[in-house]
Amino acid sequence: MAYNLKSWGEFKTYQNTCYRNYAFASKGLRCMGSTWSPLAPLKGLGDDILIIGGEPHAASTAGTFPEEAREDIIASEIGGLGFHSCSYLKLFVGEVIRDKIAIPDGTIKEGYPKPDLIWTTHLCNLHAKWYQEVSRRLGGIPMYPIDMIGGGSAEKNSQIVDYVCRQIEEGINWLERVTGRDFSDELFIRAARNEIKVLVLWGNICALNRHSPAPLDERRLIALFPPAMVDRTTDETVKMYEKLFDEVKYMVETGQSVAPDQRYRIVYFGLAHTYGHPEMARILRDAGAEIVASVYTFGTAGNFKGIVNGDWSWDPLDPKWVDELDLSTRRKAIIELVKIVLGWPTWQGVRSYWALESMAQAMITEYKADGLLLAPSRSCETDFRNGYIGIQRIFKNKIPTVEYDSDQVDVRKMDLPGAQRKTELFVHLMEAHKKGGI
Amino acid sequence: MIKQGSDPIIDQFRSITEKPAEYAKALKEKGQLLAGYMCTHIPEEILYAAGIVPVRILSSHISQSVTRSYIHETYCSFSHDCAYQGLLQNYNFLDLIVTSSSCIHMGEAFNVWVRFAGFKQKSYLISFPHIIHNKNASLFIKESYKEFKKFIENFIEKAITDEDIEKAIKTYNRTRTLLKELWNFLKHKNSPVTGSEVATVTLASQIMDKQEYNRMLEQLIRELKNKPGESSSSSVRLMVTGGACDDMTVFNLIENLNYKVNLIFTDSCTAARYFWFEVPENRSDKLEAIAEGYIGRIPCPAKDTVPGTGEKKRFRFIQEFIQDFKPDGIVFLYQRFCSPQSMDIVALKPVLNMLGIPWVELELDTTVPMTQFKSQLEALVEVIKGVRP
Repeated sequence: MAYNLKSWGEFKTYQNTCYRNYAFASKGLRCMGSTWSPLAPLKGLGDDILIIGGEPHAASTAGTFPEEAREDIIASEIGGLGFHSCSYLKLFVGEVIRDKIAIPDGTIKEGYPKPDLIWTTHLCNLHAKWYQEVSRRLGGIPMYPIDMIGGGSAEKNSQIVDYVCRQIEEGINWLERVTGRDFSDELFIRAARNEIKVLVLWGNICALNRHSPAPLDERRLIALFPPAMVDRTTDETVKMYEKLFDEVKYMVETGQSVAPDQRYRIVYFGLAHTYGHPEMARILRDAGAEIVASVYTFGTAGNFKGIVNGDWSWDPLDPKWVDELDLSTRRKAIIELVKIVLGWPTWQGVRSYWALESMAQAMITEYKADGLLLAPSRSCETDFRNGYIGIQRIFKNKIPTVEYDSDQVDVRKMDLPGAQRKTELFVHLMEAHKKGGI
Repeated sequence: MIKQGSDPIIDQFRSITEKPAEYAKALKEKGQLLAGYMCTHIPEEILYAAGIVPVRILSSHISQSVTRSYIHETYCSFSHDCAYQGLLQNYNFLDLIVTSSSCIHMGEAFNVWVRFAGFKQKSYLISFPHIIHNKNASLFIKESYKEFKKFIENFIEKAITDEDIEKAIKTYNRTRTLLKELWNFLKHKNSPVTGSEVATVTLASQIMDKQEYNRMLEQLIRELKNKPGESSSSSVRLMVTGGACDDMTVFNLIENLNYKVNLIFTDSCTAARYFWFEVPENRSDKLEAIAEGYIGRIPCPAKDTVPGTGEKKRFRFIQEFIQDFKPDGIVFLYQRFCSPQSMDIVALKPVLNMLGIPWVELELDTTVPMTQFKSQLEALVEVIKGVRP
């Protein structure tokens, strides 16, 4: 019998509260940017920091309000953004153009809440340009993009770590200047430890899916990591993820799963494309196939050991290690935070084909996968498109491998019947492979 | 006005741009070490100081479907075409292939060469910042260049001296000065050279050995100085701004519409962005000087954001070029699927509207849709000239 997650409601409430606070707060500092940014520095400005992050907000809006999302994307295109540009970006900018904001509890608020500042990152071709456009449309919001150089094992490269640290140190001075507030190292360090802890905890939760049956399916994984993306710096988030970790450990100990029928274990490389993802999941589930590991759900808000002796390892980091970290000074806290953020698998894959291949190989082996499903996202400039065609070419002779095109949130770019046929073919390939046919 | 085929030096440059691999192969046959490169953010001076001629990998504009099974179809045609050159093994004779971590699309083209075209053991990716206007970028670039220099020294089994680098800096700066001089002809209404010819000569600079190139360009400029230009006071002056375009048929088309048109400036990484900067000379720290030079370039849209304000510095350059070259209209010309370009264009259009400069937007693909582009360009010219239907 399928297990019902007890933590589910708490996660949804937390995420909705963060968005409601951002949308409706009458005071506090509204901060916008990529949630792939180190968030703890913002918390050094006080305990009234309200955060909205582009990617998770766009994803949850599309999931909750498909029609609104479509209108947002079209509004952006009418406003001049290119058809081929990132659809998360277009949805996000579309809300600014239409002067409204939608949040996943079902609320649509008229009047876009203007941010006080933009604190973001730049890695793919488009990340900072997204917020340049928001800033321009809102009359010039002060903006601080951080150059995050990924590429396989960036967190172990002292030159890169130092480069990002220096940018954040200057960014903190900038935050003080533009807000007129004093920066509190105490608040920052506390937030930094929380941020690191949540990311490490999520890595540990994901790693429990190595067990058979895997306790969590892709649907739960998709829904459970966004709170960590929205705001992972609070004491509340740490408690939530600790509780979830305990619950999933219990599931493993008792051999339970949210989807216990797992004849085939799948490794998935692709985003949670809002349109079509449930349809693909249904085809897989009907055949007793489950996605047990994915670079997106694991690697967007989770940390692992990464490159060890030249090969990728999905081994999680020990949560106790976080408690023992020396974060006694601003500099020390920045260094540890930068290492953890640079260590995200999704960063590492953006500009490194070899890291992406190594991640795929390790995931297939460690999670005992029967198949590799690839879903490049048509308008994504990060690793959710890069290298996937090459990966298919490399892995198709080792393991059943199928690739279908998807898009983050743009229904027009999703070939649903084609993707369904390919997913069905994928199931047949795994079955034939298991029977020794291919 | 020099017509196509009427100047032997320009013809020579043109034939090199039409068959870049043949030119490079001829150098190789003479024993020259060669490094192909995919992005203009690579410090060519370091390679040149090591006795290696950098050769830019360009596209062939031949419609093909081979690369669709190597890189995703939503990458620009330029990256597909450059990847294709590797898969065709057109450049097997290169000693090295080099790129910098710049645009994602060209990065994938580089990856195809490394993974599938036999260049794994002879490739180098230079770590390069994605935001060049932050205070720490220059130090980071310098460190990256240091590692690159070490790699090249190992490759040639010889140390690269400061003297070698200084000599290379001066050679490259000479190219940049000469190219600026060439482009400055286009400021004048009676230019002795056309914009499409200038674009061709500029593209050749990205393929050729710079010493040979400088000699030829010096000679061309001497000739042009003594040639009377044709008065073009009734011509419409168009400026191009956008991304990589090595298809010279577009520039020929611009200057061969049913109206008299002069192409007067091109802001792209295959034109002005390639050379519109200088590396400081006679500095004690050569790598720092190169880093400073490359940071001072007209920024690539993918790297153009100023921390603190989010400003796009490229817009300042564009406004300066508009003041200096006085275009009547702007052509946005960029590779289809190049998102950074389209993100700049959306913000540039209001600026041009304020300046009262009409514009047209053309998306490039493997081949040029001549009739479509011609209609769009002529419509732009008609807007400028106030032609009534």
